[in-house]
Amino acid sequence: MLGFVARRVLLMIPTVVGISIIIFLMVRLMPGDIIDILFGADIQVSEEEKQQARIALGIEGSYPEQYWNWASGVVTGDFGQSFRNAEPVLDVLLRAVPITFELMILSLLIAVLIGVPLGVISAVRRDSSSDYAARVGGLVGISIPNFWLATLLLLFTSRVFGWVPPLGYVSFFDDPLTNLTQFVLPAISISVFTLAIVMRMVRATMLEVLSQDYVRTARAKGVQRRLVIYRHALRNALIPVVTVVGFEIGILMGGAAIVEIIFGLPGVGYVLLNSIFNRDYPLVQGATLMIAVIFVLANLLVDIVYGWLDPRISQH
Amino acid sequence: MLAADAAGDAVGAWEAMPRRRLAFLGRWHNPIGIVGAAVIGFNVLLALFGALVWSVDPDAQDAERLLPPSWGNPMGTDELGRDVLARIIHGAQVSLQVGAIAVGIALVAGTLIGLFAGFHRGVVDAVLMRVVDLMFAFPGLVLAIVIAGLLGPSRRNAMIAIGIVITPAFARVVRGAVLEVMGFPYIESTRALGASSRRVMTRHLLPNIAAPLIVLVTVYLSTAILAEAALSFLGLGTQPPEASWGGMLNTARSYIDAAWWLSIFPGAAIMFVCLGFNFLGDGLRDILDPRLGPTVGDIPVKK
Repeated sequence: MLGFVARRVLLMIPTVVGISIIIFLMVRLMPGDIIDILFGADIQVSEEEKQQARIALGIEGSYPEQYWNWASGVVTGDFGQSFRNAEPVLDVLLRAVPITFELMILSLLIAVLIGVPLGVISAVRRDSSSDYAARVGGLVGISIPNFWLATLLLLFTSRVFGWVPPLGYVSFFDDPLTNLTQFVLPAISISVFTLAIVMRMVRATMLEVLSQDYVRTARAKGVQRRLVIYRHALRNALIPVVTVVGFEIGILMGGAAIVEIIFGLPGVGYVLLNSIFNRDYPLVQGATLMIAVIFVLANLLVDIVYGWLDPRISQH
Repeated sequence: MLAADAAGDAVGAWEAMPRRRLAFLGRWHNPIGIVGAAVIGFNVLLALFGALVWSVDPDAQDAERLLPPSWGNPMGTDELGRDVLARIIHGAQVSLQVGAIAVGIALVAGTLIGLFAGFHRGVVDAVLMRVVDLMFAFPGLVLAIVIAGLLGPSRRNAMIAIGIVITPAFARVVRGAVLEVMGFPYIESTRALGASSRRVMTRHLLPNIAAPLIVLVTVYLSTAILAEAALSFLGLGTQPPEASWGGMLNTARSYIDAAWWLSIFPGAAIMFVCLGFNFLGDGLRDILDPRLGPTVGDIPVKK
């Protein structure tokens, strides 16, 4: 198991290097000279000043040199400075990451805690009206755009309860209650898609597992129905669900970017979008890298959990 | 335009497919799939002919502002006095166009990459698939946001960004399918008969990997439409004043208390179309390829 984890961690390194090269090239291969865009139509700027700006931004020299400068900085925690206010990119990101983290953890919790039981019920009571309702609900859940759901939730709470989430982000450690009221609607909005996926997945794998011989054997030797479902079947049915959760983290991160804008939560997605509109390239690079690395780490975690749940995998 | 050419090529590839391979459609009794097909059919008709039936100019600021739904304006009017129904119809055209072109890009690029990698194997395959793996290391929508943002906010760039982001999924599935088909004896016998690589690829490989591709296309059409709506919602896709569902939802946020109809109809339209594609994808998957396993929304098919 330890060797398996070590191998996975080592495999991550080339992935992260590859990701950073893609991000680096993406920002540079885009049309237009960053310097020209920054200075706009200002003709008074001399060539010398432009050159100085290039050096300051780390876009001096050949691509390999630029990449080396950027990557070696990143490794030591120096992501460069924001164009806008010269704030270190790392500081901006470190402020934003906990917000995105909280949002994702909450939405994953909602998705798993509701999605798994619904999937089990749907599978156990196959072709009943509750199964049917859950399946249609699942299809609706994967079709509803999260940003629309967010809008609907806001519309609903403000119309029915006359309540809107408090504005201005408050940290969980300063005021847990206000913090949670701020996060509940955005978390629900992005969790519904994942909830539906988890539910469908649990239903499908449960149906498969329930038809296995060992389930019938367990029932035949007199084990209670409940025990068979939860102890024998669900445990095995949950393994593929773990993989799905790995994919879902990427979708949740995309969703988080949008709902962070809607609800004014200054997470990584919020930072990324603003930096794109401000053409703040160091911040775009940093935020994209941060999101990709979090995604890779999350998948690493999923792999490890997977290996732990299913020893056959970690032995290969 | 590059994107339009790509879509044209995709149509070409479809027509190259022997008809008998699509004969399964005649044996199709899946109710969910049929409902999905009907929903999409309705949407296509709406996009093509809706503007003829409801001939109100989506950009005309004729009516009073923020009128609630009535006989004259069945979906109300927006903050500039434009008819919401007319704008929804225009939005249907936009979303269908974006879906078709973005998926067209991915279908052509992904099929070429996957075919090439799976057919030639070796170093080319290894390099291409590593790049594909790296693309999967980004959350899809985030990558689309970054590419569209860096290219500059416009519908064309949004289509290109979405196309690029979903290409790896097509490449991976095509490669997997090609590897499987390549193992069959008939490929070996064709080669032994002296068929060129090109002939093997176009006449023997492509037709036999059509089934997973059809499922992928339906699933990713809905993903692409959803992604375009999200990008437009964020201001990175279709630009105002042109009507698009995502853009309409974005402006609706400012009038959430004053005018509920501005938030309800565009979102319902997006959901309706995605529901159609997801139903259709579900139905198609059942009959086309049970081995494909569960693939919904953004989840890449693992082969």
